[in-house]
Amino acid sequence: MHIGDTPQEAAFRAEARAWLEAHAALRDPAAPAPEMDLANHVGHCRTWQATLAEHGWAGITWPAAFGGRGGSAIQSAIFAEEQARFDVATGAFAVGIGMVGPTLIAHGTTEQQERFLGAMLRGEHIWCQLFSEPGAGSDLASVGTRAERTDGGWVVNGQKVWTSLGQFADWGILLARTDPSVPKHAGITYFCVDMTTPGIEVRPLTQITGVAHFNEVFLTDVFIPDDGVIGATGDGWSVARTTLLSERSFIGSGTGQWSVDDLIDTARRLGRNEDPVVRQGLAAAVCRARTLEYLGYRLRTAMSQGRMPGAEMYVMKLAYAKHWAATADTAMAILGAGGALGDFSPAAASHHVEGDDKWASMFLTQYAIRLGGGTDEVQRNIIGEQALGLPREPAADRGVPWKELALR
Amino acid sequence: MNFDLTEDQQVIADLAEQILAGQMSVDRLKVAERGAGWDPDVWAALAEANLVSLCLPEHLGGSGMGAIELALLAEAQGRNLAPVPLVPTVVTAMAVAEFADAGTHDELLASVVDGSILVTSALASPGVNDPLVPGVRATPTSDGGWRLEGTKPAVPYGAESAAVAVPAQLADGTSLVALVRTDAPGVTLDAERTTNHQPAASLTLDTEVAATDVLGTPGDEAAEVTRWLYEHTVAAMCSVQVGVAEGALAMTAAHVSDRQQFGRPLSAFQAVTQRAADAWITTEAMRVTSRNAAWRLGAGLDARRDVSVAAWWATDGGQKVVTACQHLHGGIGADVDYPVHRYFLWGVQNGTTLGAASAHLARLGGLLARS
Ligand SMILES: Cc1cc2nc3c(=O)[nH]c(=O)nc-3n(C[C@H](O)[C@H](O)[C@H](O)COP(=O)(O)OP(=O)(O)OC[C@H]3O[C@@H](n4cnc5c(N)ncnc54)[C@H](O)[C@@H]3O)c2cc1C
Repeated sequence: MHIGDTPQEAAFRAEARAWLEAHAALRDPAAPAPEMDLANHVGHCRTWQATLAEHGWAGITWPAAFGGRGGSAIQSAIFAEEQARFDVATGAFAVGIGMVGPTLIAHGTTEQQERFLGAMLRGEHIWCQLFSEPGAGSDLASVGTRAERTDGGWVVNGQKVWTSLGQFADWGILLARTDPSVPKHAGITYFCVDMTTPGIEVRPLTQITGVAHFNEVFLTDVFIPDDGVIGATGDGWSVARTTLLSERSFIGSGTGQWSVDDLIDTARRLGRNEDPVVRQGLAAAVCRARTLEYLGYRLRTAMSQGRMPGAEMYVMKLAYAKHWAATADTAMAILGAGGALGDFSPAAASHHVEGDDKWASMFLTQYAIRLGGGTDEVQRNIIGEQALGLPREPAADRGVPWKELALR
Repeated sequence: MNFDLTEDQQVIADLAEQILAGQMSVDRLKVAERGAGWDPDVWAALAEANLVSLCLPEHLGGSGMGAIELALLAEAQGRNLAPVPLVPTVVTAMAVAEFADAGTHDELLASVVDGSILVTSALASPGVNDPLVPGVRATPTSDGGWRLEGTKPAVPYGAESAAVAVPAQLADGTSLVALVRTDAPGVTLDAERTTNHQPAASLTLDTEVAATDVLGTPGDEAAEVTRWLYEHTVAAMCSVQVGVAEGALAMTAAHVSDRQQFGRPLSAFQAVTQRAADAWITTEAMRVTSRNAAWRLGAGLDARRDVSVAAWWATDGGQKVVTACQHLHGGIGADVDYPVHRYFLWGVQNGTTLGAASAHLARLGGLLARS
C-alpha cells in the first residue's frame, strides 16, 4: 500500500499541471457557480474538449486506436484532479465520454467505434441519455418505448423524460422495447440515434433553479438504421448495465468536486470562521471530503488493476450526495438570511449566478444528485444485495412477459 | 391543561383554510411568481374577512386575538403557499399597537386593517441573524427625533410596505426600534428576489424619524421591543413552516400511493414509507413546539426558550421534511410544472430567513448556559 503519487505518477501530474497552466486559467474559489446559461456552457465544453483532443489529453484511458491517450485509470484521475483547479467546462461530455464511450468500447462494432469515439473526444458530438420514461424511472427495465422492425432498420415510437442536455445533443443512446412477449429485462434493445432524425421532438423542462437542464423527448415514427443497434437485438439490458456502471463510477470518480476550500473561504470572507458552530460544520465537511477522497483512491486502484469496482461505487455516490447536501447546509448556516436571497426566476436563468448564490443553488439542486444515475434508495438496495449478500427484494413482475405487465 | 383549540380558534382556522384553499390555484401561484411575487387579491380577501386585523386590538378595528390565532392563520398560509405578507405585516402592526404611544399611529393601522397598506420589519442580518447586530446606527437630532444610518438586508415586502420597523443601535450600545416611512427622504429599498419568489428588499437608511415614531422607549428597554418583534416573527414563521410541511407531505402521500414502479405502488417500499413516516413525525414535532411557543407569547409568558425550540424544529426539521418530499417524488418533482417544488422552495426560504438551525441552537444554548 502506498497512498500518494509514485515517482511516475508525480511526473505525470507535473506534466499535466504544466500543460493546464499553459492552456487554462486557474479557477477563482470566490467565483460564481457554474454558468447557468446552458447554451454558453455547452459551447465552452466543446471548445475545451477540442483543445484537450488537439494536445493528446482527451480520453486518457481510451486506447490510442480510438483517439485516446492509452493511459491508466490513475492517470485519468490525476488529470481530472488537476483540471478541477482550472476554470474549464466539461459537464456536457458526461454522457458521451463518461458513459457512451465505455459502452461502445465494450459492446460496439469496429465501425461504430470508428464512427463515434474520435468525434466524441474532439468535442464534435454531444450525447444524451434517452433511458428514463414517465413510467420507467427506478424501474428502468420496464421501458415501454417501442422499436419495430422495418426495411433496413427500426421504427421507434414513445416518450422519454428527464433527458439531460437533450436540447443540445447531436446523438442519443436509447433503450426501446423490441420484444414485448418476453420478461421485461429480456426484450430491450440499445440504440444510438441521430437527434436530427425526423420525428424527434425535444421539449425543455424548467427546474427549480430556473434552468432547463433536462427535457421531455417525444419519438414519433423515428427511423433508426440497423447500424444504430449497439450489442445484440434484445440484449439491451446488459449493454445498458455497462452505461449505468460508467455513470455511477463517473459520478464518484473523484475530481476534487467535493473540495471544501470554497466553503472555508466563504466562512473567512464573511467573518464567520470564529463561530464554534460554523467551525464544527467546516470540520465535519473536511471529514466527509477526506473520506470521499480515500474512497476515490480505492476505486481508482481497483480500476487501474482491471478489477470491476463493486459496491464501493454505490457507497461513493451515496457519500457524495450526502456531502453535497450537508456542505450546502453548512454554507446556508454561514450565510444566514443571505442564503435565502438569490434570483432563481426563469427570467434570471440566463445570467450568471453571482457570488454566494452558488450555495443556495447547491442547496436547491441536492435532489438532482440524489436521484440522477439511480436514487439513494436504489443504491442502498444494491449495497444490501452486493455488499451484504442480503436476499433480493421480492419482485411481483419477475419472469412475467412485459406485455402482461403493461396490462396490469 | 388542554392542548386543543377552542371552538373560536377552530372557526378561525377553518375560515382561513377555506379562503386560502379557495383562492390559491396553481395558476394563481404562477401569475404571482412571474409578476410581483405576491398576490394582492388574496391579501384583500383576507382583509375583507377581518383576518388581517384579527390580532389587532378591538379599538383599532381588530378582533383582539393574539399569537396563537396568528399561528393558525400562518399554518393555513403555509399549507396553501399563499404569497401574502401575513407574518411581517401582522406582527409589525401588532408591535405598533403594543408599543407606540397611544393614538400616534392609528391612521396607519386603520389602513393596515382595511388592507390598503402593508407594514414590515427589518430583522434579518447577514450571517449571525441577530436583529440587534449593528446594521443601523441611531443618533439623537436637535428636535428630539433620531437620525438613522445603515443597511438591513432581506426586508420582507420592503418595497411594498408603507413603513418598516427597524431596530437600531445607539452610541452607548443600547438600542431603539423606529418605525420608518418608506417614502421619507433618505430611505432606499433595493428589490431582491428570494428563494420562494416573494418580494424582499435591502433597506438603506440615511434619514430622520420623529420621537413619536419610536416604538417603546429608547435605551435598555428597547431591546424588549426588538425581542418582541423577533420572537413573534419567528414563532409565526414556524407556523408557516408547519403548514408547508403538512402540505408537502399530503402531496407526497398521494404521489407515493399512486405511482407504480416494479409492479407496485412506491408506498409498498418500506424505505419510502419509513421516510414519509419520519417526515410526519417531524411535522407533528414542529406543530406542537410552534403552537406552544405561540401560546406562551399570547399569554404574555417568557417564551425565549420555547421560540428557540420551535425554531430549531422548523428550520432543521422543516427542511428535512420538504427535502424528503422532494426526494420521494423522484424526477417528476424536479420539473417546475409539477407543484411539489414550491413547498421545497418555501421550506428552504423559511428555514433560512431568521437563522439556520445552528443559529437557533446557539441561541438556546446561550439561554441555557446563562440560567
Ligand atoms: C437532474 C436529473 C437528471 C437526469 N438525467 C437523466 C438523463 O439524462 N437521462 C435519463 O434517462 N434519465 C435521467 N434522469 C432520471 C433519473 O434516472 C430518474 O429520476 C431516477 O432513476 C429515478 O426515477 P424516477 O424519477 O421515476 O423516480 P421513482 O422511481 O418514481 O422514485 C420515486 C421515489 O421512490 C423511491 N423508490 C423507487 N423504487 C424504490 C425501491 N425499489 N425501493 C426503495 N425506494 C424506491 C425512489 O428512491 C424515489 O425517492 C435524471 C434525473 C434527474 C433528477
